Amino acid sequence: MLQPMSSREGSAPRAFVHARRRWLSALGFLALIGGAASAQAQVAALDVSSALFVEPSKRSGLTVVNPSATLAVSPNDWLTVQGAYEADIVSGASESLKGGRLSNVDIVSSATHFSDTRHALTGGFTVTRASTHLSGSYTYGQEHDYRSNAFAVSAGTDFLQKNTQIELSYGRGFDQVCTTAFAASDAPSSRLALDNSQGCFTDDKKRAARDISLDNFQVGWTQTWTPVFATQMVLSAALQHGFLGNPYRSVVIAPAGDQALENHPENRARGALGLRGKYYVRNLQTAFSAGARLYRDTWDIFGQTYELDAERYMLPWLRVLLRARYYTQTKALFWSDDYTGGEPQTGPRGQYWSGDRELSPLSSYLIGGRALATRQGRPGARVFGLFLSLSGSVGMDLLKTNLRDFTLGGRAPDDTLAMLWSLGVRGEF
Amino acid sequence: MKHLETSAVVRPLGLWFGALSLLASAGCATVRPEQRAVLADPTMQFDAKSADQAALEHALDNREGSTGGGSVRGGGCGCN
Repeated sequence: MLQPMSSREGSAPRAFVHARRRWLSALGFLALIGGAASAQAQVAALDVSSALFVEPSKRSGLTVVNPSATLAVSPNDWLTVQGAYEADIVSGASESLKGGRLSNVDIVSSATHFSDTRHALTGGFTVTRASTHLSGSYTYGQEHDYRSNAFAVSAGTDFLQKNTQIELSYGRGFDQVCTTAFAASDAPSSRLALDNSQGCFTDDKKRAARDISLDNFQVGWTQTWTPVFATQMVLSAALQHGFLGNPYRSVVIAPAGDQALENHPENRARGALGLRGKYYVRNLQTAFSAGARLYRDTWDIFGQTYELDAERYMLPWLRVLLRARYYTQTKALFWSDDYTGGEPQTGPRGQYWSGDRELSPLSSYLIGGRALATRQGRPGARVFGLFLSLSGSVGMDLLKTNLRDFTLGGRAPDDTLAMLWSLGVRGEF
Repeated sequence: MKHLETSAVVRPLGLWFGALSLLASAGCATVRPEQRAVLADPTMQFDAKSADQAALEHALDNREGSTGGGSVRGGGCGCN
């Protein structure tokens, strides 16, 4: 979750200092395992990458830096052990109060600065036997106002002379989010939003930790049809239960300007079906890919995604990918830009209220690309004397969102153009 | 207010899955290992783990109301 800057003022929480020590200890342990294993490993691979997401705005811009590192070690033919660290360093400003066209309150000046860092540490393994593999992993994530524990297992196999591959996966998350200390029996319209994260996950009587449980299921089926054509179908389902709103966001719910904490249903079932194909055109020496995804959930959002990309080698060691994507979704059943009007278009919609633009009707366009350079070595002739292979990638994407119904007090948001840069290096040794 | 039912999600997706499974089983083409040179190339892989793709999915998950249905690893393989 994002946290207002004010919560960081004062002393650095003791819990955070202890958490940082734990992270450093865990990373040291990871490096020790990696170092010990790589001494006798057949292959070890280190991936280091970072992404920068920028969403400019006059009032509520957002910047996210997302560094990550993954070390995978294969001590023998059938086992791979991996550890990963990832962070989300978020800063910017956002409106803590949502009202629509009829709300007679100052929404724009409610924008507050925030800054937070999410740390996530993952450990996992993959066992491979003949044409079957089994993987397991555990991820712990921590922010000032959010904690997550996630377990994931997956199994895959291929058959029919490796023309068919099936992969099944399941993930279970046990998360906690910090909110104000309202009782379950309190009327939703009387609940207050957080103004900062101070006191979260302590014995502070003004704070409460609310559980969120997450179940994710996925089936993937990859099929090769001809020497130049393959398809993949992925069916996903997710169940979410618990506090699913934003604990910092209030919504104007009455003409007099009354505000209450965003109130979302406590259950959500989500399903998606993705189908994509890859076809290699020999004349153009280019691999083309087209995909479509349909999404539906019990909040009545129906989403459609259409993607195209093309990738080819510009040089034997350099390949370039270009991509385009279109996305559109309907609104959630209880979404309204303004809950004060009383009419279907601008009035209350049942017992829930939301200020989340992700639940409003929207569409988006994305264009982007990636360049990836790879240099192959071999035992006795390693790249820079160290790597069996070394690759580096640079990516850039532009995302333009069209919010069909979402306003901030009747004014269209100006933070609808986002840029994403990514940089990655991978070395095998 | 309209009832929020899980079956609204499961039923249409199940129909899609069933239809596509039938389509696939009706024409299980076989590509022999020696024909897999192109399929084994990285440009023909359904790669869910590239750095730029992971960053992009992470950003989109936080900007859209939908999620799931993305790529899993897989694709052509030159191995025997």
